[in-house]
Amino acid sequence: MMLKKKLIEPNKNGSEKVHWANTGVQFSLLHTFRSRKDNENGQKVESVVLEVRTEQREREREREKEVQIEDARNMWKQIRDREAGKLRANSFANRVKSNRVFQLHLSNHKDIISPHKGAINSLQIDSTEGRYLLSASSDASVAVYDVQRPTAYESSTSLSKHTSLFVIDKQQHQQAHKYAVSSAIWYPVDTGLFITGSYDHRINVWDTNTTQVVVNFKMPGKVYRTAMSTLSTSHMLVAAGTEDVQVRLCDIASGAFAHTLSGHRDGVMTVEWSTSSEWVLVTGGSDGAIRFWDIRRAGCFLVLNQSQTQLGRRPPILKRSMITKDSSTKLRAAQKKHANGSGSRQLQVGRAPSKGPIKQRLHPGLLSTQDRATAHYGAVTGLKATEDGMYLLSAGSDSRLRLWDVESGCDTLVNFETVRLQINKPIQLATTQDSAHVFVPCMRTVKAFDMWSGNTYTVLRGHYECVNSCWFNQQDQELYTGGNDRQILVWSPVRSIVDEMDEGPAEDQDNWSI
Amino acid sequence: MEGGHEKGAKVIPLIDKATNSTAPEVDPRLLMAIKTVVRYSDSELRIATQTLMDLMKRDHSQVRYLSLLIIDEIFMRSKLFRTLVVENLDQLLSLSVGFRRNLPLPAPPAVASVLRSKAIEFLEKWNLSFGVHYRQLRLGYDYLKNTLRLQFPNIQANVERIQQERRERERRSKEILLSKYESLKENFSSIKGGILSTMDEIDECLDILHSQQESVSDDILDNEELPEFRSLELQQIRLAALQEVEKVYESSDNKVVFDTLRELYKLLVTKHLVSIQVWISVLVRVEVADNRFRDSTLKEFIDIRNRLKSVKNKCEEAGCSLLNKSKLEEEEDFWEDGNVVSMETPSSAPNNENKHLNVASTSHKRNNDDLGSYNKESNHFDTDSLLCRGKEVESNSPRSKLIAEAPVVRWGHHLDYWDSDRVFMANQRGLDLESHWGRVDDDAVIPSDKMYELSLPAMPYEEEQVEIQPCMAPLRKGGFCQRRDRKVCPFHGTIIPRDDKGRPLNQSSAGDMNIDLRTDLVEQLAKKAVKNIRERDQEVAKKREIDKQSLKRAKLAKIREHNEAVLRDAAMASTSRSAVLGEVGEVTDEDRLSATDKKQSLASMLRKKVTSKDRISQKLLSSRARVTMARHNMS
Repeated sequence: MMLKKKLIEPNKNGSEKVHWANTGVQFSLLHTFRSRKDNENGQKVESVVLEVRTEQREREREREKEVQIEDARNMWKQIRDREAGKLRANSFANRVKSNRVFQLHLSNHKDIISPHKGAINSLQIDSTEGRYLLSASSDASVAVYDVQRPTAYESSTSLSKHTSLFVIDKQQHQQAHKYAVSSAIWYPVDTGLFITGSYDHRINVWDTNTTQVVVNFKMPGKVYRTAMSTLSTSHMLVAAGTEDVQVRLCDIASGAFAHTLSGHRDGVMTVEWSTSSEWVLVTGGSDGAIRFWDIRRAGCFLVLNQSQTQLGRRPPILKRSMITKDSSTKLRAAQKKHANGSGSRQLQVGRAPSKGPIKQRLHPGLLSTQDRATAHYGAVTGLKATEDGMYLLSAGSDSRLRLWDVESGCDTLVNFETVRLQINKPIQLATTQDSAHVFVPCMRTVKAFDMWSGNTYTVLRGHYECVNSCWFNQQDQELYTGGNDRQILVWSPVRSIVDEMDEGPAEDQDNWSI
Repeated sequence: MEGGHEKGAKVIPLIDKATNSTAPEVDPRLLMAIKTVVRYSDSELRIATQTLMDLMKRDHSQVRYLSLLIIDEIFMRSKLFRTLVVENLDQLLSLSVGFRRNLPLPAPPAVASVLRSKAIEFLEKWNLSFGVHYRQLRLGYDYLKNTLRLQFPNIQANVERIQQERRERERRSKEILLSKYESLKENFSSIKGGILSTMDEIDECLDILHSQQESVSDDILDNEELPEFRSLELQQIRLAALQEVEKVYESSDNKVVFDTLRELYKLLVTKHLVSIQVWISVLVRVEVADNRFRDSTLKEFIDIRNRLKSVKNKCEEAGCSLLNKSKLEEEEDFWEDGNVVSMETPSSAPNNENKHLNVASTSHKRNNDDLGSYNKESNHFDTDSLLCRGKEVESNSPRSKLIAEAPVVRWGHHLDYWDSDRVFMANQRGLDLESHWGRVDDDAVIPSDKMYELSLPAMPYEEEQVEIQPCMAPLRKGGFCQRRDRKVCPFHGTIIPRDDKGRPLNQSSAGDMNIDLRTDLVEQLAKKAVKNIRERDQEVAKKREIDKQSLKRAKLAKIREHNEAVLRDAAMASTSRSAVLGEVGEVTDEDRLSATDKKQSLASMLRKKVTSKDRISQKLLSSRARVTMARHNMS
């Protein structure tokens, strides 16, 4: 209170012209005086000592408050700049948003009450309204929640509870999955459909309003991950990564498999559509390979190799020439070719000369299947493309995160400080709106990394068992995470002061009795 | 911040000291100090949090337990501490509850189990009081409870359940009250009518009695005119009797009235008065929307109750004796007639003259009974007087002698059947029984001896009160031993008669005592010898243990020395500087030694105790090994 007063009407007279840093001196002077007086009285010395201590504490508090007020001032300055037109609307919004992202913490006023009895495998918010959260669980159930409007609000604790709008589980639905649902995604155009993939070898397309299966695909093995392109205007393909080595594209329009992409040597853990082209699909397999497919052509056009690296976000021209000098000119040529998405990879395949006659028979587009380059040791468990589609982040069971330059196909050598990643399940990564930050489930925590430097800026602790999935809500700057402990946690920025004014519950305060 | 860090050194040693103990609780003074330090500085609090979390990672359950206690103390008080701890709650829980399989609680297991239960209890407490503010607390509680299904003490639920039960009970009693109230509403007039009619009847009865009495009292007044010159005592008795005469006594002509009155009174006291009380309490307790009926009824009931009481008093005044009787000894009509008579004989009231005469013929035997019936302690005055009277009447008769000699028997039910040879009709008790199970034999008879047997009195054994003489042996600090033992005083041996200075009177007994003393001495000596031997044994054992330890230590030191020598040699071979390194190593070793000495207490908790079983098994194993070795050698 005192502080506010000072801010409002500063420097009325000379005595108050003291800078806050100096106030401590003032206090101490006061106390020497007081204590001398008390000594004269021969009493109350102890109480003065206590007072000194409390004031020391108060000073610390005030310093903290000062910092807060400094922040607020900064904010007001920005608003004034925006008012004056010095600041662009977009950049202003982005600044506010990124500010909020920095403040993410476990939300105390928003609970998502999950009806699941098993691990949460996948979470997604619909892209049209940013309002409906779809969750898939190991107990073969799928649920949808409204994250905007709570189903119950406890004014006494100012806690809003979001129970599921509907649940599809095997007890109530005949068409529901029999085994764990590994992935559930919204139809990118509207919330009328959603697609679930399960360990019972099926991919179901559901009508949200009737909760009935519209289309049903039978896959050759357990489905690990399904994906739909958010950009596509000309196709309605669901890419499915399964236990099988082949990636299949399921056409919702026709109800049949449109493509079968073969090249991986093991099951495919993750699939991700490119965010820049509707025809490009990225798949990460248990064999450690990350393959890029152009669905208009046969075969994959790019296999990421962990040994090909570059420092920095762009391959520097000079460095590049140096690399080419180092490596053989043949390799360079091959690289160029596969970057184009065509051309043979015979030179790279030269490792296995005994397979000569086989490769002769292969279609030129399928020659890339012979490329055994790996992006990770072990399986690739997670993929996430940046918003501009120029970079790809991959997570592997070797507890490594790699950021790839899609254009050059090189690892950018960003060092992400992960400790350990879950290895037996695909994990779902999430990025903030401008792909500045990435949220990665690292065992029981979710770590937020800076995309370009790889620095950890927050560790979100709250789950008691491994986290499988996270999803960042771009509209509210909220993060939703789901883990093996059956919880869906909401991580939200600090609420604004206005919200706290009408907060119901009794303030949480110190309670010192000594 | 740096400044804060420097100051923060204050709290670390405090916490270290507090957690470095084997006690089951944190030293309250240290705890207080920690709290005061932490209270007045946020930076100290931050450091304390960090220190405590580090201590929780220590591989010793006792350290963890004490840290947890400190954490709880601060957690319940400081908001900042809560926010800091809650951030890492899963770690704290896994370290204190030990729910992760790869992170079990460390040794010692006894403390670990206490730590675990305490942690669970604390979590519940924290969740109860701060769960609203911290989602992490709720999550942790939920996880432990619903996923791991740990047993929580469930404080809140218990309290709630008890409250719920109490509420339920209250509700039920209220319902019952209400239903009673409703029934009262319906039956009010009839209840009231019944009571009033009874009271009217009583009034009538009393009226009749009083009208009778008036005529009698006239007679008394007449009799008053004939004064007798007797002793003052007798005069007094007479006065009292006269007062009693004021009351109406039962006689053959008013017997019917008395009977009705008695019955009515009984009804009044046992039924109406009680029911009125019950109704009043119901009315007082019941809660109804409409108070008018309740209030008016309550008023009326209170009026009725007052009237009832006054009527009752009137009754008691009018027919005190008979009513008292009816109240106290309703069942024992048979016996009490005699009693009344015998009580009234000495008073010799004139109007009772005929009655006395009536009974006099039977009263001899009764007197006997009475004599027997009186307890010697309480009523011996009466008996005395009676005896006196008996002496007066028949002074030297053998009967009186016999009476004087005869043992006194406690009064009891069995006296009814004393010497009687009446038989009892088993099925004639004023009730006509229609047995469902078959014909009732109306003539069933219980023989008198059976009856006596059935009513045989129980006689508790009464110990003879013997005064136990005090020991009276002279004490060293003056005075005499006041212990009262039967035979042997534990301090002064056999109790013997002594003179007032405490010297034994009897020479022969003194000799006895000498013998006693001697035996005592022998016993004492033997005991002392045994004790000495044991002590020596213990000392030897201790010494052996110490020797063993020192031996072990020496062995360890030897090994270490050897290692160091080897190392030094190796180092000497490589560089010249390493000689210094070896010395440094020695120093650190010494440090470590002192450290272990300091932490002896905590470390000793971890050390596994070697039980005799272990030793035996070891011995067996080694012997077996030796045997096998020998065999090998043989082969």
